[in-house]
Amino acid sequence: MFELMEAVKDAATKLKRHYSHNSVSLSAGCDVFYQFISSLRDFGQASIQLDPKLPAVREYAQNTKQVKDTIADNVDAFIKDDSVILTHGYSRVVVNAFLLSHRKGRRISVYVTETRPRGLGMRTHELLTKAGIPCTIILDSAVAYAMDKVDMIMVGCEAVVESGGIVNAVGSCQMAMIAKAFNKPVHVLAESYKWTRLFPLSQYDLPTHNDHILSFDLVSTPPTSGSNSPLPGTPRRHHPVLRTTDSIPNLLFAAQRHPPLDTTMSTNSMSNVMPVGQAGRNPEVDYTPPEYITLLFTDAGILTPEGISSYLVTMSLRSESS
Amino acid sequence: MTSVESVPSTSTQVPAVGAAPDGPPQRKQLTKAERRELQEKQRAAKAAATAAGAPAKAGNAPKPAPKPSQGQNTKASTPAGASGSTATASNAPATAAKKAAKSGKEVDTQLVDKTADLEAQRRHQTRIFTHFVGKKEGGLGAGIKGEIHPAIIRLGRQFADMKIVGANARCIAALVAFKTIIQDYITPQNLTLARDLTQYISPQISYLVSARPMAVGMGNSIRELKYHISVVSIDMPEQDAKDHLCEQIDTYISHRIVLADSVIEEYAMAKIQNGAVIMTYARSSVVERVLIAAWTRGKRFSVKVVDSRPMLEGKNMLAQFVKVGIPCTYLLINGVGSVIAEVSMVFLGAHAINSNGSVYSRAGTALVAMLAKEHSVPVLVLSETYKYSNNIQLDSFTKNELAPIPDPRTSSRRITTRDRLGNETDVDDETRNPNLQSINPLYDLTPHTHITVLVTEVGLIPPSAISTLAGLRDKDKGMQLSV
Repeated sequence: MFELMEAVKDAATKLKRHYSHNSVSLSAGCDVFYQFISSLRDFGQASIQLDPKLPAVREYAQNTKQVKDTIADNVDAFIKDDSVILTHGYSRVVVNAFLLSHRKGRRISVYVTETRPRGLGMRTHELLTKAGIPCTIILDSAVAYAMDKVDMIMVGCEAVVESGGIVNAVGSCQMAMIAKAFNKPVHVLAESYKWTRLFPLSQYDLPTHNDHILSFDLVSTPPTSGSNSPLPGTPRRHHPVLRTTDSIPNLLFAAQRHPPLDTTMSTNSMSNVMPVGQAGRNPEVDYTPPEYITLLFTDAGILTPEGISSYLVTMSLRSESS
Repeated sequence: MTSVESVPSTSTQVPAVGAAPDGPPQRKQLTKAERRELQEKQRAAKAAATAAGAPAKAGNAPKPAPKPSQGQNTKASTPAGASGSTATASNAPATAAKKAAKSGKEVDTQLVDKTADLEAQRRHQTRIFTHFVGKKEGGLGAGIKGEIHPAIIRLGRQFADMKIVGANARCIAALVAFKTIIQDYITPQNLTLARDLTQYISPQISYLVSARPMAVGMGNSIRELKYHISVVSIDMPEQDAKDHLCEQIDTYISHRIVLADSVIEEYAMAKIQNGAVIMTYARSSVVERVLIAAWTRGKRFSVKVVDSRPMLEGKNMLAQFVKVGIPCTYLLINGVGSVIAEVSMVFLGAHAINSNGSVYSRAGTALVAMLAKEHSVPVLVLSETYKYSNNIQLDSFTKNELAPIPDPRTSSRRITTRDRLGNETDVDDETRNPNLQSINPLYDLTPHTHITVLVTEVGLIPPSAISTLAGLRDKDKGMQLSV
């Protein structure tokens, strides 16, 4: 039994390493599976018979597909006719929910953000228009522009964290903040296997964050500004911030030295794409704090962020004591 | 006949029939002649009530206590005056007292106000915060019946002189003292340990409460101790029972405080990144422990220790940090606004956690947390779960404690100030200026919205979810975690 657990752990580690961009939700899923396996074990037995357990395991795996349908049913009650919904990126749960509502005869229209740099919003657009749902792609930067036309935000997530917040494709947090400013509800669709015991204190406390993200180039500096730039060992807040105006000429100088944005590297119809070196300094996911989220639709029911954190605390305590 | 008629009768009143025609002059005689007697009784009742009750009740006890006693006197003297016979008067007070006690709220309010005012003036006490337990008449433990163990007397003195401060320190000190008491205790003939020991312990607790109001964590631990005492089997030999109880106390200290602190250390350390700037406030045993452990394990960060008068507890923590080699900055609370922009995170300790996630802690904590929140700095409150209370408190005013004004004759802690000529004068010397009072509330309440996360031994809990913990513990143990 112990060896089985070890094997599951190893497999999980390998998976996480392979899919580095999806690591948070993968971690969550693996953790839940791990817990499920450990709940199967019979205490005091030297060996367990795996064969009788296999159907249970298969059922658990299949359940994850049905979960999306359960969530879609719950969501349908919240969608009124002629709703305009804004979504971000590509989430299978969300698309599933829209398709289900559409099949039931609701008239909805959807704005989806481009979701750079991966451009996942195009996939959502493709699937929705194929089904006959009016869908328009908007710029990531046009979210505030469009917010007044929108009735609600509906997004999926990579993971739900212990504070009741979510981790999702970068751009979700600002979408939620803008929605809050406009008093639009933010609904998150999250299967229960995405809930994790992570507790990020800020964006930079996420496991996906590293020193390279949002870092600055170390360019050769003119002598005057050297003393004003933050030194590596200086105790500061953990993101580098330029504090004096003397450093600004430094930036301008650097910009002039670099070649203009590479126009030949575009992979889609957009003509101006950031160079690869810069693209690597950007995050893939961000953390949306619970205060910006209205409701979470899960297979365990429709919960508020506080409700989810209570649920998570209870589940984790139960599993620790068992 | 205003005094009795103003009281709505609920059929439990002693009918002072004969007093009707003599009413108003009777009443004037009463207030002039009986005033001193009333006040003596009121004071005695107040002392007994505050000593015997928990601090939450102490604020209420003085008010119901004088009321029945005054009601009793009102009714005692009116029949006495009316009938003119002492025989009925001696019986009437006894029955009147019982009935007045039952209908305690129904009192001559005018009388209460007058005597209350006089009380206040006489005492030169604080004119606001009168519901806080302030200086007591008659010294430590006045009016407590029952023999008090010397260990408790010593502990009470230490509490009153603020020699032992801090929730964990006080709780552990109290539990250790109770272990001594339990070992010294001998069950009297024909009584069971389970019942008698609880009764024996009660005045000891009252004595400690008279020194300083009960700390929440301490209260939780004592409640658990009483539970363990109550389930001691009648068949267990006395020494075995005493050893068992001492073992329970040791387990409590070890699991709920010492080991809990180790686990909190691990969780909190994981959040400290190299190069972080951590702000702390006053002194918390847990925060001190976490930061020293993190530094010893090789994490490199700097600390800003924020302190405030009159306790200046931050100095102690600062000394410990400097000893280990952590680069520190020391500032008073009025400087927090200037440095908060450079801070990565704030570590705070707690005296108690309420069920809605708000934190009751040293006065000044709420200020620091609020400033941090405004500047998007995460606020981590480090607290063991034994400090959890099912209370909901909405502000710092309803429940608090005032720092004792040091007695210039006995206390070495004198708070002084210099005038322009450089002459030192005692700030708190009341005799200098009778119009000036200084009050120092010791605690304040930080609302849960200003707290990012509670770091407990069961993990990182968002403040809104802390109440789920209590529900779970209850089911597991089959008893109340706290009141």
